[in-house]
Amino acid sequence: MTSDGVPVAATTDTQWPRWEVFKQDSERKPHQAVGSVHAADAEHALLMARTVFARRPNAVSMWVAPADRIHSWTAEELAGLNVTPADLAGNGTRGSLGSHGSAAAASSAAPGANVRLASFLVVVKSSNRRSMTFGDVRIEVQGATPASALRSALARLGEEPVLAIWLVEAAAVVRSDPEVADPWFGPAVDKTYKQQSVYSSVATAKRDTERGMGR
Amino acid sequence: MTQRTRLVSTSPTDLPPHLLTALAQRVTAFADDELVLGHRNSEWTGHAPILEEDIAIANVAQDEIGHAVLWYGVVNALTGEDPDKLAYFRTAEQFHSAQLADRPKGDWAFTMLRQFMFDAYEAELLPRLAQSTYTPVAEVATKIQREELFHLRHSQVWVVRLARGTDESRRRLLKALDSLWPLLSGLLEPLPGDSLLVEQGILPDSAELSEAVTHRIAVVLTDCGIAVPADAASSAAGSRSNRTDGVLAEMLAEMQGVARSDPEAESW
Repeated sequence: MTSDGVPVAATTDTQWPRWEVFKQDSERKPHQAVGSVHAADAEHALLMARTVFARRPNAVSMWVAPADRIHSWTAEELAGLNVTPADLAGNGTRGSLGSHGSAAAASSAAPGANVRLASFLVVVKSSNRRSMTFGDVRIEVQGATPASALRSALARLGEEPVLAIWLVEAAAVVRSDPEVADPWFGPAVDKTYKQQSVYSSVATAKRDTERGMGR
Repeated sequence: MTQRTRLVSTSPTDLPPHLLTALAQRVTAFADDELVLGHRNSEWTGHAPILEEDIAIANVAQDEIGHAVLWYGVVNALTGEDPDKLAYFRTAEQFHSAQLADRPKGDWAFTMLRQFMFDAYEAELLPRLAQSTYTPVAEVATKIQREELFHLRHSQVWVVRLARGTDESRRRLLKALDSLWPLLSGLLEPLPGDSLLVEQGILPDSAELSEAVTHRIAVVLTDCGIAVPADAASSAAGSRSNRTDGVLAEMLAEMQGVARSDPEAESW
């Protein structure tokens, strides 16, 4: 209903699926969650990721994963789980664990059966002080379900602060091709990347010109 | 491959006047194609189908205009002409761009197919130019070809998806092809002075390049079940010397308006 009471047709979501983007700035750094793109399919998503997130700042590699193949928990949710191995065994009693309808989550219906282990990339948000990245891809864990993989992930992370954690189904991750990295990431290297604040605003233009800093 | 020994030229002073004139015109044409197509793509800014593609097409536009700046720099070294003056103070009749580049942006299918055809052209042209015996041309070609490879990947992704998508997307793509295919020959046609440059190894052979570009485009379209029109090579449409329909003049009026409103401005 619109505000004047005229009924509107039921809307369907015409957005393309959302993909989370993981960018690696150099060989020595982890892939980091930098944001998301909407795209029609995996190849398109990688192209959009490069366009949106790697035009100027350096990058050496990019991954994308469909948002619905990522299972996430905040620190509060983890605390609420009162995590014990039994809770995290993935026996389906906790709807918030791996409730994203994925194939891996669905397999939790048969605990103890002949389950197949899936791999998950573990993304950890460990600080609120970063503005350009959400978290780092830290480790890879196995699990029959996202819930059991979460248990492994938390055990391996030990006492590290976890403000939020994502388990990304590794099978759903699409990676940029190292063979063609240059056309993707090379041009940005030679270009000067300037933060917005470098440029004059209407308010600062006169001062900058007087200082010989105008465009 | 021709194995003739060719003299490598590294600066304008190495070139006799008739070659210098022919090369300046040819490189101006390279620059004009990039500038005009870049401007047409920039018309999508704020209007593209989704935010991500809006950023993508703006990036492509900015890249093409950046390539124009590089080519105008080569012209500047040859003739002393100022790049800003070339871009903003020539009339449509003085431009050497192909009609393929200057047509109004149309719908997304038209823009993406045109970009794909241009990217396919550059994907064949630039590696050949990178072998040019005139080193400033070889250097610019080498520098810009990696960006063009990314453009090609993007535009080709779109052409394939439009062709295989819905009835509407395929219909729009086919309509765009009807308009654009006859203009391909104009993009590929040699300028009057080109043969002199080909002889010196400054430019690649026009006929061989033309065949490679047409083949590259045809492979992708055929793979999508789209028959490539047969009569392209004989079409005279889209020539670089054909400036009579006013389309480019109208675009330039918009593109050059600010610069021409204050020709003496030093900063804006």
